[in-house]
Amino acid sequence: MDSVLRAAAIYLALMVLFKIAGRRSLAELTTFDFVLLMIIGEATQQALLGDDFSLTNSMLVIVTLIVIDVGLSLLKQRSQWVSQLIDGGPTIIVENGKILHKRLRHARLIEADVMEAARSSQGIETLEQIKFAILERNGKISVIAQEPS
Amino acid sequence: MNDESGHTDYHSRDYPVREDMAHQVKVWQFERWGWYFLALVVLLALLGLFSRGPLSTRDVQGDDGKVRVQYERFHRHGSTNPMQISLSGAPNATVELELTGALLDGFNIETVQPQPLRAISAGHGMRMWVQTDAQGQANLYLTLRGDGLGLFRSRVASPGAMPVNIDQFIFP
Repeated sequence: MDSVLRAAAIYLALMVLFKIAGRRSLAELTTFDFVLLMIIGEATQQALLGDDFSLTNSMLVIVTLIVIDVGLSLLKQRSQWVSQLIDGGPTIIVENGKILHKRLRHARLIEADVMEAARSSQGIETLEQIKFAILERNGKISVIAQEPS
Repeated sequence: MNDESGHTDYHSRDYPVREDMAHQVKVWQFERWGWYFLALVVLLALLGLFSRGPLSTRDVQGDDGKVRVQYERFHRHGSTNPMQISLSGAPNATVELELTGALLDGFNIETVQPQPLRAISAGHGMRMWVQTDAQGQANLYLTLRGDGLGLFRSRVASPGAMPVNIDQFIFP
């Protein structure tokens, strides 16, 4: 019983923690983010398994995590509300070459982040060439270029 | 954030994606308050709310000072913490010590040093006899491993001395 409760508690706790951390936190992995992610994994692993290293326990934990994960995606499919609660929605951060500064600030982004995404995905050089930049649900910035006039 | 909510940045757009800015603002607020909460947790952890720190380490004595217990008020399930019991009595004599209450329910006593002369179970707890030194002092060092969850109230007593009550909380 405790394996299932452990796994469920960890799933819930991690979900809330990463919601607090925001969608950007682990979307663009730098080397340091990657190391951080591994440390989080190591710290979680102990609490997930406890002092029971049996095959049964590890299978129970994995099965519980998958059941919760699939269950949640089924819920998301049926309910718009749950989907928005868990995944959030996209946010426009540049509109017709103009940065929406208040949104950028709340999303803890700076102009350099937007321009980096614009250069790497579209080869865009200046802000004016961006028609829309959108902060997607997974934390990536997608850029739509201005049509050449 | 409310005073600025009239700003056009907070109006929802429909193109190229359909937005729900009211919800998004709530999400941002949640992130902000969540951050404060996490910082508070870190601060409390530094202070010892989750064991080992000023909030957790206790040093209590009976009213007559004959029994003294140093222990951690907060434990974590599966982790070990020390507990020290000091007794004063007649020099070079044997003193009796009784541990009662929920201590043995919530904790595994991994080590007791030095070994008591004799130890027997007594009702819900256990009774031990230890040898005092030339100054009439006897110390007992225990290593406790938190095994239960929640609050455990126990009592350390010695005949002829005021008992010491200890409350310990074990986190999951």
